[in-house]
Amino acid sequence: MIAGSIASARGGREAAFPLGMGRLAIQFGALFALAMLAMGLVVFAVAQQRIARRIDDALEYHSSKYLAPENGQSVNAAIVAARIEAWQQQKALSERTYILFAADGRLLAGRLRIPPPPPGFSPVRYVSRAHVVHKGRALATRLPDGALFVVVQHSEAAESLQAILPGVIVAIFASALLAGLAATMLFARQTALRLAETQAAADAIARGDLSCRIATDRLDGMFAQQAASLNRMLDRMEELVSAQRQFSSALAHDLRTPLTRLRGLLAAANATADTDALVERAERECASVIAIFDALLRLAELESGRHPTAVAPLDLGALVADVAETMEPVLADHGGALRLGRVDASVVRADAGLVNQLLVNLLENVATHTPPGTTATLRVEQRDEGAMVILADDGPGLAPADRSRVVRPFERGPETAGRRGSGLGLSIAQAIVRFHGGTLALADNAPGLEVRMMFPA
Amino acid sequence: MHCLVVEDDPVIAAHVLDGLRAAGRSADHAATGRAALERLSRGRYDAVVLDRMLPDLGGLEVLSAMRAAGDARPPVLVLSALGSLADRIEGLEAGGDDYLAKPFAIEELLARLNAITRRRPGPAEAARLAVGRLVLDPSRHSAAFAGQQALLNRKLYSLLAHMMRHADKVVTRDMLLEHVWGYAFAPTTNIVESNMSRLRTRLLDLGIDPIETQRGHGYVLRSGLCA
Repeated sequence: MIAGSIASARGGREAAFPLGMGRLAIQFGALFALAMLAMGLVVFAVAQQRIARRIDDALEYHSSKYLAPENGQSVNAAIVAARIEAWQQQKALSERTYILFAADGRLLAGRLRIPPPPPGFSPVRYVSRAHVVHKGRALATRLPDGALFVVVQHSEAAESLQAILPGVIVAIFASALLAGLAATMLFARQTALRLAETQAAADAIARGDLSCRIATDRLDGMFAQQAASLNRMLDRMEELVSAQRQFSSALAHDLRTPLTRLRGLLAAANATADTDALVERAERECASVIAIFDALLRLAELESGRHPTAVAPLDLGALVADVAETMEPVLADHGGALRLGRVDASVVRADAGLVNQLLVNLLENVATHTPPGTTATLRVEQRDEGAMVILADDGPGLAPADRSRVVRPFERGPETAGRRGSGLGLSIAQAIVRFHGGTLALADNAPGLEVRMMFPA
Repeated sequence: MHCLVVEDDPVIAAHVLDGLRAAGRSADHAATGRAALERLSRGRYDAVVLDRMLPDLGGLEVLSAMRAAGDARPPVLVLSALGSLADRIEGLEAGGDDYLAKPFAIEELLARLNAITRRRPGPAEAARLAVGRLVLDPSRHSAAFAGQQALLNRKLYSLLAHMMRHADKVVTRDMLLEHVWGYAFAPTTNIVESNMSRLRTRLLDLGIDPIETQRGHGYVLRSGLCA
């Protein structure tokens, strides 16, 4: 199954034309050709109509010229015949000719041998002196005395247009088809070449090589943009997967420790008489396992964004004062002190429950991870970009390398001998600040540690 | 007090039933949601401990069926392995009177059960709270005993008020964190203990020490010590 999918993926990549591209090219080519054909027909129809219109206009013009009244008197057959005779004298060659029929159909003037056409416009056929059959268009007008005056014009322009029509159509169709095919095939080929880069990387990643990236040096335009965006996604994914792996192994380790101790306690239960103390210690180990799970669930809830949000305008100053009131006795009991520094009243949009947890967690860290005599100070500063909550202590602080490390899950500060937390406190703190769109930074308070939390306004 | 324990896990059910009986309460057991509804329709119970995850009907469905059955239903403590805030809110909104996440200590369950059976119909909150000669003044955030006054900060005041409202009943640390502080997370330090010892120091200044520590689990304010 796996071997098969790899083989087919490889086959698809090596073929110059991926499956379906050839058919796509033909479809696009044909569509293009049909569109060109339709356009050609429309152009042709319009041209033909205009030529026909011009012939009719000429016929009408010349007809009215010959039938123009003479000396205010309407014309009769004799006058028109005389005019035709006059024309024949001076002009032998023309695309037009004039004929006059008597009321009974006899030819009175003109040289063209055709039967009298019906009054109005009509198509006519006639044989030239060279015995060639020509097509023409006639305008026949009945005179008041019953004679029929006919103007005939060759419609050779329209005729020749019609003659070349099939050829033109075939040529247009063929060239459009070819052009469409070529363009589509070229486009498909270029697309396929660029997609192959992405596909190769995707296949490598599917086989388990998460470090593979799409080579962008041969890509351009939107393909390069897409590849860059996919690469960014892959960076993030790799980061997450590696964090997840680290997280899982750290979690396994952290759970093994209390569980191993618990097992030892149970094993000792038979041998010892002091079961009360044993049970109490066992309960403590259970509590630490439960604490790890609680913290994990909390973290997962925060990071997946599923936390039921009670986000509302919150006065950070008031909340900080409230937390300080609660935590001051705790720090005092641990031999330290908590002071409130400058506290600006600053309102941000936040979840009060989460911010409470954040500050309590951090103050608990100070209480448990600093030696007696440490003083912690809480401040709230209103700034343009939001509110900055600062917790500073004058304890031993953290080395720069440790400062970036301890915010990751299950990473602890250097002195963990006495107290054991879930190892998730700072991770949760960071998740809470990020949940609010803010940032948490650890800095040197010289001496001591400073935690700066920025809440955007 | 007669309780119904609705729980499909036999070990947890036995643990809860033993705990209730050891505390002097009678208790019946139902392993499924349908069995629970049947028992509720036949007998009268003072309280129900209801697991959320049951093999047939979900705990929340049992809750809504109980609610549909009428107003005279007993108070319900919802028990669940789902401990997130969302699940908690869901459980309370479905009509549970309190919510306890597994794993839990049996003492915690007993204290919460006590609180919800006593809460109804609910004592009216007096502006001036008094137990014996110990009197709270909300406008000044102070406690007075035998003519002496002690000013308290907001947290100590709320803590004492809560203890006085639940005088002579065990109140656990988790209950205090929930009701006085409104914290939905588990602190890693002794927040309640530290504040309670401050409060007791203040009360000692007034000449009384009415709050007793119940070993490992909670506190009781003895009304007899406020006389």
